[in-house]
Amino acid sequence: MNTPALSAVRPALFERPSFAVGDRVRVSQRAPIGHYRVPIYLRGIAGVVARIIEPAFVDNEEEGYGRNAGSKRYYYRVAFAMTDLWNGYTGSPNDELQIEIIESWLEQI
Amino acid sequence: MASDPHSQGHSHDHDAHAAISHDEAPGYYEIMETAVRELLMAKGFITANDIRHQIEVLDSRTPALGAAVVARAWTDPAFKSRLLADGRAGCEELGITFYDDTQLIVLENSESVHNLIVCTLCSCYPRPVLGLPPDWYKLKPYRARAVIEPRKVLAEFGTIIPDDVEVRVSDSTAVIRYLVLPRRPAGTEDWTEQDLAGLVTRDAMIGVIPVTLNDRGMK
Amino acid sequence: MSTQDFVSRLPNDIGGFAAGPIDRAEHELEPWEKRCHALADVLDFKKMINTEEKRKGVEALGESLIGKLPYYERWIVAFANISFTKGYFTPTELAEKMAEVESRTAAEPKPL
Repeated sequence: MNTPALSAVRPALFERPSFAVGDRVRVSQRAPIGHYRVPIYLRGIAGVVARIIEPAFVDNEEEGYGRNAGSKRYYYRVAFAMTDLWNGYTGSPNDELQIEIIESWLEQI
Repeated sequence: MASDPHSQGHSHDHDAHAAISHDEAPGYYEIMETAVRELLMAKGFITANDIRHQIEVLDSRTPALGAAVVARAWTDPAFKSRLLADGRAGCEELGITFYDDTQLIVLENSESVHNLIVCTLCSCYPRPVLGLPPDWYKLKPYRARAVIEPRKVLAEFGTIIPDDVEVRVSDSTAVIRYLVLPRRPAGTEDWTEQDLAGLVTRDAMIGVIPVTLNDRGMK
Repeated sequence: MSTQDFVSRLPNDIGGFAAGPIDRAEHELEPWEKRCHALADVLDFKKMINTEEKRKGVEALGESLIGKLPYYERWIVAFANISFTKGYFTPTELAEKMAEVESRTAAEPKPL
């Protein structure tokens, strides 16, 4: 039986994924220095969320500074068309690339 | 440590590994490794047993584990669906632990999709289930090219994927590792799980070649 | 290439770069290389140097050194640098320990 208290539970910021499978997202165009884990060839490219990776993990870019702490955020497996990534891609137009990206790098389209 | 012309001569050919003669004195970096390890032990941060134990862990991880996972998936549809839903949990069912605390996504090859795994930024690899990666996986040509011309890379391994089959490259960059579930070769319908496992190679689980019935694999 | 790229592109971020054919020669890890790998794992387990710090430590060697040093050589130099930064030991302690290890191993040649 669902009590009103149970259905009123409100998750905190970042407790739930912000994106759903099938959402169109864009990788941020920013260019950090120091450390990052989102390759430059993806920056600014639009893709589709293929899978939400459970559970959420710490931000591996912050982990590079040895904090072993910080907010956990969701990672997503995002699919990109090869023809969107590379000018003059020579394979099949159906070819794609999938990669895991942390939520803080993704923007809703 | 005195400057040694021999050590400088090595800088240009780091991809090649000369034959090792075992009576040779340890090199500069080997000495550094010993010194770092001994300092950390002397200060109580780690123990000799920590290192010894982890070497045993590494030695126990080989492509035979991945091959066992693949053969089980080929012969047990319920296991396969659990494995595809949660790769790590599927492997853990068989007793394969994830000592590096990574997650695993198993990518199934099909009539319409061929999967290929790379790590462009470093050398992420499903070590708990395949052991350590081959040298070529860690070097620039494979890492740089697999994401931009995967079909040419596959062709260098002798693998030609028809144009109507999607090539799907997975670039591994963070906490997820990937394992390709290759297609089961035709003509193996009556094979045992163990015989099937004998067909599955490391390279097939990276996705650079298919599983085939070669001479070694024939019953 | 603008100078901005020197700081905003990490040396290991090479996806899509032009490169030659794949050399499929493989080598068996030398014992010290395997010990170095085990050390990396242990340092990560204990969160003394986590995997991401190791990656960042390798990137911090810079493009030139990354191009010249083999894989485990990059790792052990990164571990030394990170250990100095985190105060696990000092550069002097490492230099003295390396001299000790070198004289010890020179005195006892390894059997064939």
